Amino acid sequence: MNLFRSSLGALLVVGIALGGCKKEDSDQPESTGKEKISLAFVTNGPANFWTIATAGVNAAAKDFDCNTDVRLPNGLVDQNRVLEDLLARNVDGIAVSPIDGENQNGKINEAAGRTHLITHDSDAPGSDRLMYIGMDNYTAGRMCGELVKEAMPDGGEVIIFIGRLEQANAKLRRQGTIDELLGRDFDPTNYDSPNARLEGNGFVILDTRTDDFTQAGSQSQAEDALARYPEIDGMIGLFAYNPPAILNALRGADKLDQVTVIGFDEDEDTLEGIKDGHIFGTIVQNPYMYGYESIRILAALAREDMSVIPEDGFLDIPARKIVKANVDDFHAELRKLMGED
Amino acid sequence: MIKLLGILALLFAVCATTAKLNPDFLGVYNIQNVVRWTSLFGIISIGAAFVIITGGIDLSIGSVVGLVGCVMPILLVNKGWPAWLMLLAVMGMALLIGLIHGLLITKMRLQPFVVTLCGLLIYRGIGRWITNDRTIGFGSEFNDNLRLVATGKVHIPGLNGFAMPVPAFILIALVIVSALFLNRTIWGRHLLALGRSEEAARYSGIRTDRLVILAYVICSGMAGIAGILFALDANAVQPASHGSFYELYAIAAAVLGGCSLRGGEGSIIGVVIGAAIMRVLYNSINLLGIPTQLEFAIIGSVILLGVVADEIVRRALRNRAARKRLKRGNE
Repeated sequence: MNLFRSSLGALLVVGIALGGCKKEDSDQPESTGKEKISLAFVTNGPANFWTIATAGVNAAAKDFDCNTDVRLPNGLVDQNRVLEDLLARNVDGIAVSPIDGENQNGKINEAAGRTHLITHDSDAPGSDRLMYIGMDNYTAGRMCGELVKEAMPDGGEVIIFIGRLEQANAKLRRQGTIDELLGRDFDPTNYDSPNARLEGNGFVILDTRTDDFTQAGSQSQAEDALARYPEIDGMIGLFAYNPPAILNALRGADKLDQVTVIGFDEDEDTLEGIKDGHIFGTIVQNPYMYGYESIRILAALAREDMSVIPEDGFLDIPARKIVKANVDDFHAELRKLMGED
Repeated sequence: MIKLLGILALLFAVCATTAKLNPDFLGVYNIQNVVRWTSLFGIISIGAAFVIITGGIDLSIGSVVGLVGCVMPILLVNKGWPAWLMLLAVMGMALLIGLIHGLLITKMRLQPFVVTLCGLLIYRGIGRWITNDRTIGFGSEFNDNLRLVATGKVHIPGLNGFAMPVPAFILIALVIVSALFLNRTIWGRHLLALGRSEEAARYSGIRTDRLVILAYVICSGMAGIAGILFALDANAVQPASHGSFYELYAIAAAVLGGCSLRGGEGSIIGVVIGAAIMRVLYNSINLLGIPTQLEFAIIGSVILLGVVADEIVRRALRNRAARKRLKRGNE
């Protein structure tokens, strides 16, 4: 009986280990099949933003007849590991949004030496990547600053919320916003410390709060800011989940419409907030096209068509301003892309 | 011994399944990567095992890894310290952290969970503060010298192009020293004894406080060594997330490897196999294209099953022994 039970236990373990993986058995022959190209799209973390990009990836996978795999790593170390695993799998191309473009060059070059590698969303300029697909984050930041100026023509005290400042796109986006607000010249090499209080051009930037990539963290940061600066005029949220978190905090403090909110990206709540008039506007990127174009280009590269790479190595997918006037059209377009209609 | 065989079988099962579904798993490049990751996580897991054997816990491992990673580029790149001095400084810092934990736990009689939970928060906060939350790195200057400690490989003749990652040698050295310490020295035996019952150990003349402090120093020291390797390997450190949750991986590997959270039990080899299972699982999830979102669920399930199977085997053995005793008594 005892022997029976212990063997049962051992069998159970092995069975589940096998069963857990077997689930994937059905897709396996497809993804290792050499006749069909297999491509990978690696993000900089799990976020709603990437759900939209995934829709683009899936659409391109159909259009260009390839297998795609979207990986959402958890931080820099994990992203490196995911790249290694994809290389071990001999994928035909990788599009990655590097978390630290400067210091990850070694790993990016390792990948670029073994397969077609392009960057999207955030670039690694010094690396061997073939090209970058995305927008100029500094310019987008300046557009965000313009929205703030439109919403607050007399200036005022504002605070900036952002997930983390470690990746290039975040740094540039924040800096563009600050430079525009303070009326500085166009210079993407500027950098202001997050804790510095900055003044100029009628605006006071009280602080930049980071929240380590969580909406709950962002909301509590916004609540604390409201407690600390009860007279604050404007709140700027630069990562997709920041504007909804700010709205929640304002709702809780009963201060909706008393504080001007400017956002970034196209979270559902952000768009609803613009419709309801609680958010003045948002700057949207086009994650769907990041996904779609990444796969289109990688598929061509895998078929040895190098002509898809632009001369300057940059495929610009420009940002757009969304305010009350165009939010409905934009929302409808987004729903269509996501197949929700 | 049976326990070791069981966990080895689990490792083998996961490897065999992955290799069957995707032969790329056995590619030289992939095996080298898995060995490297196993070495890095194996080191912190050994540290965690020492603390768990005393019946304690260390939740600050990941934050120590993070803080070490933050301090290294600051000293090396910003302050221009020589590499040996920087390494000495961060190791000193890690050992000091362990000493403080140990003293607070033994002399102030604070609970290990609380002390190291506070440590988790404090070191993470300090790391983020001294770096201003910006990712910092080593640039390309150290690629061909210092970083080789983590990224270098040594060709093994006759192994079909396989080159052993340097961290694996470090792990092997640490395993040998730790296993000898735990099993062949009087202090190691005392450590196991105090884990079973601290009071009994104290009454039999063992200076338990010193041993508990030593366990925490070893744990933070291992986190320091691994922290150095993790930072050099990634070449960049994200202050807010570098190393976060690593303590849980280390604890899981230790438990999977046969340590009991009640203390008094554990084998160093088992813990390293436990760490290997976790890394192979992560690797196979990517290799088989299983959605990232399921990662934690799969790893959690396999650990749970391993522990459940272990408990079943343990009970079976205990029953059999009891029945034998009964039989002998009857005779």
